[in-house]
Amino acid sequence: MNLIREKTREVTRTLLPVFIIVLILCFTIVDVETDVMVRFIVGSVMLLAGLSIFLWGVDLSMNPIGEYMAQEVATSRSPIIIAILSFLLGFLITVAEPDLLVLGSQIESASGGTMSAQLIVYMVSIGVGVLIALGVFRLLKDVPLSIFMAITYGIIFIFALFVSEEFLAIAFDSSGATTGALTTPFILAISLGLSRVKGGKKSEENSFGLVGIMSAGAIIAVMLISVISGQKNIHGDVAEFLPAKGVFGPIFGIIPSVFFESLMALLPLTVLFFVFNFTKFKIKKGEMSVILKGLLYTLLGLTLFLTAVNSGFMDMGRIIGIQLASMSPWILIIIGFILGLIVVLVEPAVHVLGEQIEEVTAGHIPIKLIRMTLSLGVGIAIALSMVRIVVPEVKLWYFIIPGFALAILLSFKSEPIFVGIAYDAGGVASGPMTATFILAFAQGAASAIDTADVLVDGFGVIAMVAMAPVLSIIILGRVFEHKHKKVQSPVIEEETVVISPSLDDKDYDEQHNCIVVVVNRGFAEEVVSVARNAGARGATIMHGRGTEEKEEEKVLIPVVNIELQPEKEIIWLITGSRISVSVANRLLSHTKLIEEGEISVFVSSTESMGQE
Amino acid sequence: MIDIETLFFVVVARGKANAILKKAQECGAAGGTIFLGEGTAPSKLLDTLGLTEVQKEILMISSTNELSDKLHEVAKAEFSFTKRNKGIAFTIPFQQRKLKPGIQEEISVPDDTDIPDISPYSCIVTIVDKGRSKACINAAKAAGANGGTIIHGRGAGIPTDFYFPLVIEPQKDIVMIITAKEKTSQIRERIFSELEIDKTGNGIVFTLPVSRATGLFENTNEESKEVLA
Repeated sequence: MNLIREKTREVTRTLLPVFIIVLILCFTIVDVETDVMVRFIVGSVMLLAGLSIFLWGVDLSMNPIGEYMAQEVATSRSPIIIAILSFLLGFLITVAEPDLLVLGSQIESASGGTMSAQLIVYMVSIGVGVLIALGVFRLLKDVPLSIFMAITYGIIFIFALFVSEEFLAIAFDSSGATTGALTTPFILAISLGLSRVKGGKKSEENSFGLVGIMSAGAIIAVMLISVISGQKNIHGDVAEFLPAKGVFGPIFGIIPSVFFESLMALLPLTVLFFVFNFTKFKIKKGEMSVILKGLLYTLLGLTLFLTAVNSGFMDMGRIIGIQLASMSPWILIIIGFILGLIVVLVEPAVHVLGEQIEEVTAGHIPIKLIRMTLSLGVGIAIALSMVRIVVPEVKLWYFIIPGFALAILLSFKSEPIFVGIAYDAGGVASGPMTATFILAFAQGAASAIDTADVLVDGFGVIAMVAMAPVLSIIILGRVFEHKHKKVQSPVIEEETVVISPSLDDKDYDEQHNCIVVVVNRGFAEEVVSVARNAGARGATIMHGRGTEEKEEEKVLIPVVNIELQPEKEIIWLITGSRISVSVANRLLSHTKLIEEGEISVFVSSTESMGQE
Repeated sequence: MIDIETLFFVVVARGKANAILKKAQECGAAGGTIFLGEGTAPSKLLDTLGLTEVQKEILMISSTNELSDKLHEVAKAEFSFTKRNKGIAFTIPFQQRKLKPGIQEEISVPDDTDIPDISPYSCIVTIVDKGRSKACINAAKAAGANGGTIIHGRGAGIPTDFYFPLVIEPQKDIVMIITAKEKTSQIRERIFSELEIDKTGNGIVFTLPVSRATGLFENTNEESKEVLA
């Protein structure tokens, strides 16, 4: 049970702080009824199990499905098909997102019925679809993400001039609603798959950013609705809050509807995948059964997770919010900060993003560092949201607009891979935990403070959570760029490949050598071309991280004491033993590889049986 | 010419490689390279549930013979490699090539006679297209191997095609299997025939000598298949 245990351990590590802080609050300053408390404890256990199973399911199903889909999109050759396919993907997963429907009905009631929930859901889905399609083209065309996002947010800022403050909040909130527990891992997998299929030098940084692009689609769509319909003000009442009674009643009561929601969210993807499998992929039975199992785990895990969050965490959040707000604004702000700091790490998509970062950079970017930055960003976001609730003069756009503007400016000066991670982090952080626990906390606080409006101040919390990590991670990327020794990938000069005639193709009896070459990242192609000129044929490249040999060259992030290990590429070559000497010599007499690539070459004799 | 005679490999659970590397550096290793891989499922039950992936990290340290012996001892003593599932370590004789700048030195090719023939193990490396690694592991298991480590890599140097100047990089899986020497040829034959390695483009199989290995356990019964790597 190695892996399940590891997943559970990882989830426990992130859940435990939340659990402890909430219990401490309950036993000290907040007075909570026993059944709410017991439900929170039961909910925590369910959440632990649900999230672990869900993450495992995502690994088994979402990642391969995303990869197959990405391959289909990228290799379809015609730009029209690429556009249609990626639009369809974006549209389908968004239209089924339960959070979006909730947001839609909220807007419907807030607008007094002039805008129907369905219209909003479809508009947002179309917005996401269009942006995903554009995002896919961006990736394939290698347009820098910083420029793409600057243009996108430029458009958003122009729209922002025309919409009311309430709609600004709703628009940014909708970006949080579209990036749900299921859509985010799937879009992450798609963008990873696309960048892998595409390959090339930028494949690493291209693995990120699509989630961020997707969020922008939702924002633009809602702003468009507001501009076109002329709807400016929202009004309405939030239903009186009554915590549910009993322990198991509320939990089991919502299971059917949550299960149905999860099923609906999972369905379009699954259907699309099977249609494609039937016509195109034709996946083998063994692999298919793994994917099916994965889908089942995903459904089961998601149901457990959402049930736990909705029944165990929401009431708790609300009660804490109400009571803290009536005590003192300072306590509210400080506790808000702490909750933001730790709750974001329980978000399912944060785990998925972390894994992806590890996978893509082979551990070069420490996940710990990303997590810390993420939590700090969200902590500050929640604290500021509380300030906004306490002080009515402080408006949402004071933070949102300058925050994004600063992020866009800095993105031009930041390591490209961090730009992608940062924009993704915004969508990743505003998942189901924020939408329930944190939102309930904020609404509770707003309802206890006379000057605050539950509806207006409630909206906007997710917007803050979606903005803060973008800024904080881009700042981290800026720091990284400073700290990091700049490795410029070499421009490979085209050389004519001369395969020495001494190469005997069919001679399997000949002794072969295995050459292992370790170089700095970006030099692998150069190594392969040099080796080819010396007579080698195929090569396999792996991606790893290494150590800095000299102590003074080590890059350490201060305070947290995390070492940044340089990225390496490992190249395996199989050559005839006669050629291996000349290959090794050629590689070692190549000055660029020695000076900039820090090359080392290892040779071992081998017995080779098949050649590519 | 500095002669470093071996590459010392360690396969451990994700996240543990850094600790071992640190320890190795204390013992005198110059540095190492870490890459990510996957192990195989330790039991049939987990396999049925779809829990086949065990995430691993592989650490590669270039070392002299004496140093690698020392590292084996450290692995045993401090990272309890003598227990099952803690990780494995093995040494493959490699010769590091280093040229003094400007001087073209002739280097002797290492051959089988250079390798002390004492270790009961060898390492079978199979490089196949992505997705076929499972089939490779299954073939190897059928022939008596205990498990393997899968590393994802990519093939190199493929021409540009498509509407976009799109380089499609073929993704490859590298499967490393450490096994007893007497089983080597039978496992290799099995992989060779089941994966049809002899057909062009289907992959490549080769064997590397292992001069020492720590943390390996032989199967005692079918039901409790042990992860080796």
